[in-house]
Amino acid sequence: MNTNKRENVAAYSFLAPALILLGTFLVIPALMAIYYAFTDYYLLTPDQRQFIGLQNFMEIFKDPIFIQSLKNIVLFVVFVIPIQVGAALGLALLINKPRKGNIFFKVAYFSPVVLSLVVISVLWLYLLNPSEGLINSLLANIGMEAQPFLSSPKQAMITIVFVSAWQGAGYQMLIFLAGLQNIPSTVYEAGKIDGVNKWQNFFHITLPLLKPTSVLIMITTLISAFKLIIQPMVMTQGGPMNSTMTPVYYIYQSGFSDRMIGYASAMTVIFGIIIGIITLLQSRLTKEDDM
Amino acid sequence: MHKKLKKSIEYFLLILLACIFIFPMLWMVVSSMKPEAEIYLDMGGIQSLLPSLDVSQWFLTYKELFSRFNVPQYVINSIIYAVTITVGSIMVNAMAGFAFAKFEFRGKKLLFGLLLVLLIVPVETIIITQFTVAHTLGILNTRLAVVLPMIGNMFFIYLFRNFFRAVPDEIIESVKLDGANNWIVFWKVILPMSKPAVATVGTLSFIASWNDYLWPLMVLTDTDKFPLQVAITNINTTQPVYTNQVMAILTISTIPLIIVYIFAQKYILQGLGGSGTGIK
Repeated sequence: MNTNKRENVAAYSFLAPALILLGTFLVIPALMAIYYAFTDYYLLTPDQRQFIGLQNFMEIFKDPIFIQSLKNIVLFVVFVIPIQVGAALGLALLINKPRKGNIFFKVAYFSPVVLSLVVISVLWLYLLNPSEGLINSLLANIGMEAQPFLSSPKQAMITIVFVSAWQGAGYQMLIFLAGLQNIPSTVYEAGKIDGVNKWQNFFHITLPLLKPTSVLIMITTLISAFKLIIQPMVMTQGGPMNSTMTPVYYIYQSGFSDRMIGYASAMTVIFGIIIGIITLLQSRLTKEDDM
Repeated sequence: MHKKLKKSIEYFLLILLACIFIFPMLWMVVSSMKPEAEIYLDMGGIQSLLPSLDVSQWFLTYKELFSRFNVPQYVINSIIYAVTITVGSIMVNAMAGFAFAKFEFRGKKLLFGLLLVLLIVPVETIIITQFTVAHTLGILNTRLAVVLPMIGNMFFIYLFRNFFRAVPDEIIESVKLDGANNWIVFWKVILPMSKPAVATVGTLSFIASWNDYLWPLMVLTDTDKFPLQVAITNINTTQPVYTNQVMAILTISTIPLIIVYIFAQKYILQGLGGSGTGIK
């Protein structure tokens, strides 16, 4: 009994700092968001906070900007996943062959990963400047007309897709590369004996064996893509005409800039549930694949 | 002949791709090394990817930038935040991981289950109520507010716990027989035997905290407490805005990361999401 108690005390003294920090900055805020979602909490008048039931939730689903932000984020996810993951796989396959200068190419493709999201956002803001940016100057060199990019509601989100994919592909290329190198060469040799050609090799040996890696990469990309905020915040402020407004950015604007804590909390709850479900599905999927 | 042609096409493709991935960064660095007017004069030509032909111009932009903004202060701030968060994160999460790996205590199953549930909470969406907590604690606009929420991390606890479980109990018992208490075991046995886990957590939390933008932007109002990431957008919106000076601050903020990526490259891949594929 005595040793048991001593073990309890020891364990909790090791746990204490983590429990206090996670409790204060994660558990309490999460619970507060759920509670505030049912109130009309306005930051500047905390004393007049009232319980208003489901009113916030009803308003949210009538809020054209929130609906737009959901559409935008789906558009972003639908494009960024195939482009970024596809590019990563393509690069990994290219690099996987032994050849002179491979290290250089590997470092080159990886290099944007080193830049922070703020840095890439500001940098591309200049590169994509419609009148005097480098990209439009290069397009002019090959006889193409200048594109509006971020200043057009039609092109802005797609532009953010390409900038994000450009930054992230190199990291996933390395993961694919590790996956490729885990495939034993005996598998290919066996294929050779059976007389398979290059395409069969890729579609019937490489791709199936890469499936666990691909699923993992796609789902982690999916989850982080849903939480997009920095690129639109720095590059477009959600515009033009809310075409790059995202849910997390809208939560930030309502709760922080407009100080409507109750309303923002209700959006947090809805969006948190969506991401939570995706994350749960992820652990299911990846577990099955491990077996 | 056919084989040679194929090889040339392959190299052409590889080089073309390399250009696509490199040119933005190259333009960033060289544009910080020339006068403002030259950037726009060169735009589109080959000279747009070369620094000023006049070597004496190369660091003039940096001098101008430093005279307008307190850049060394931003660098020091970023280093303070990143180092504090990294060291704190290793300590706090390793201690919790040690408790889960090597102790039997009341509520262990419940707490560990809770921890796994917390892995699902998307931290980015609760920034608003995190902010009200910081407000209630009265730590807004302090360095403490930047650092504290970034330290506790469920994924790191999980990673440490899995790693520590591999340390044989016999070693711990024998050290304890020599009179060592749990603290000494943690410091002298567990941590030194888990250098890869420490390095992984250290690398990942350094990069994450160096790149963190939204939270410091929210809690800080004094510019002299800004980390580099926040300073970048501040410089980019403070009139008059000079392209070459903006590129200079982008370059400065990236250099430490390049160093980290070079020296810690083998630990970067371990951080693949919170998906439980970490070290087993």
